[in-house]
Amino acid sequence: MIAASLPQRFKVDFDPNSQIFSLAGTIRPRSIDEIAESIQALREAIDTVRGVLYIDVKRLIQMNNTAFQAFIRVALDACRERSDLRLIVVTSSVVSWTTRMFRHLSTIEPQISVEVYDSMFYPGQDYFEDTSFIPILRAQTKLTWRHERTILPRHGMRPGIAVADICCGIGDFAVLAQKEFQPSRIVALDHSKPSLAYARKVAAEFGVTGIEYTYGDASEMLLEDNQFDFVSCRHSLQVFNQPELLLKELYRIVKPGGRVYITNEKNSHCLGEPRAQSIQWTYNELARLLTNFEIDVEFGPKSRRYLTDTGFDDILVESFMVTNLDGDPQDFADIIAGWEKMFADMAVRNGEAPEFIERFRQGFRDHIFAALHPKGYAGWPIWAASGRKPL
Amino acid sequence: MGASVNKTTETAFEPLLQFDMEMEDFLSDWHHCDHVSTYLARMISHNRTDPVRHSNFFSSALNELLEVSFRGGTTDGKIGLAIYRQGATERVQLSFPCPPGQARFYREAVSKTRESDAQARYLDAISNDLAPSRESVLLDLAVNYDARLRLDEDAAPAITLIVDLPLEGMVS
Ligand SMILES: C[S@@+](CC[C@H](N)C(=O)[O-])C[C@H]1O[C@@H](n2cnc3c(N)ncnc32)[C@H](O)[C@@H]1O
Repeated sequence: MIAASLPQRFKVDFDPNSQIFSLAGTIRPRSIDEIAESIQALREAIDTVRGVLYIDVKRLIQMNNTAFQAFIRVALDACRERSDLRLIVVTSSVVSWTTRMFRHLSTIEPQISVEVYDSMFYPGQDYFEDTSFIPILRAQTKLTWRHERTILPRHGMRPGIAVADICCGIGDFAVLAQKEFQPSRIVALDHSKPSLAYARKVAAEFGVTGIEYTYGDASEMLLEDNQFDFVSCRHSLQVFNQPELLLKELYRIVKPGGRVYITNEKNSHCLGEPRAQSIQWTYNELARLLTNFEIDVEFGPKSRRYLTDTGFDDILVESFMVTNLDGDPQDFADIIAGWEKMFADMAVRNGEAPEFIERFRQGFRDHIFAALHPKGYAGWPIWAASGRKPL
Repeated sequence: MGASVNKTTETAFEPLLQFDMEMEDFLSDWHHCDHVSTYLARMISHNRTDPVRHSNFFSSALNELLEVSFRGGTTDGKIGLAIYRQGATERVQLSFPCPPGQARFYREAVSKTRESDAQARYLDAISNDLAPSRESVLLDLAVNYDARLRLDEDAAPAITLIVDLPLEGMVS
């Protein structure tokens, strides 16, 4: 593994095991001499591989023509010399110019192909990027906000700071946080185009300005290092199959001394009275079912470990319970109704038997029953945790 | 700024910002191109649909233009940069002094970006040249950014590149 860290916030890396040569960061040299070492690294990588070399430019933020031409010169020359060589350039759908610039290579040289990395990058993605998920997010944030608005200041949220909400969904949290805490800047990023379109529409309709909604992949963000005082990532580490990747990125973009704030659930601890047993059964089964989609809805109490392993210090963890008594019990019932439909669909997709699905649905209905019952109680527990990036 | 722009288009384009600097200062550090393009791109993109991605894309184009003026400009006079907007398009107007007689090379390079074989010329340049030429950089803007370029020579020996970049529609 070679790694050359150059000035200009640029990184070159070659992993001979996976035959991936990657270019990341910003590279705008005045002359080729400044990047001679990296060019040589590409040559050596090509000499090392048999068959295919992947050239990963997903995290390439900027590259001027001088660097572009120097790198592709090496690639084109190598293809001319070696008919066995295949080069696959992997660009990101997020960085607009890379795909437009690199796509020409496959026209010039048939041994080179260009792939745009994007869809189906995590198993639950279909569900979270479907418009039917929008009302669920809406209902959830309405109830969690009552708790979080008082919790957030303990985790470093305060007026006048730069904030990023990563995996923002439909952006309700960003709107509420902007109103309550008046950050100097707020960026809200998600990979769901329908959710972002909805977020922008709501912002426009309500005259909300200043929230920078951006399309992106939270595991490879276009945002630069050390930019934000407070970075939130709510209910999302648990749905992504590689939470440690996301955490690394959150760590990267927060300023030293700033904090990353995460919320996650432990769904098997959802509860209700009456009909406690049926409710309990369903949520236990839910946690099990979702592991088939590599979704860990039991993540909440693991927050401390994940934050520690990423390198954060001064870790704070607390939990709160959203209940039917927080406001209108119907709001709570609406969340559960959304879950019933979405998770029953997932159970069907997972090939569960009809009897299972019926019993599974019944638990959600019983949770709604408990929520709306005049003497009933229904709860959804959430873990809020944050860590500080060391100075 | 020495540019005189066609009046009808000028009224339709709303000015966003203007920046100038002594050429001597500008040429004292190569990183000015990167810093100025990053900074200005962020400023003009904040109210675009996707500010982060628009800014990244715009910075990429603007940096190439600044590099052209860095490589081709002379120390006497100022570099002037103005950015305008009309709908989904930003107009970059970049003036800088260049050595006498150079204007015609820019004129030729700009006119090639508007010809039907622009893409073929660009592909030819990137498949054969070791380093980008002034011409291939301008072709890059036309081919990869759908830019429309013009040259204004009214303030000779300074030249003004006028580049329309319809990036908003390409980002979102
Ligand atoms: C359960 S939702 C939570 C949304 C929002 N934070 C909320 O609490 O309402 C998870 C969100 O994460 C987004 N997401 C998951 N993986 C992502 C990734 N790699 N990059 C960007 N967004 C991602 C999904 O599109 C979805 O909007």
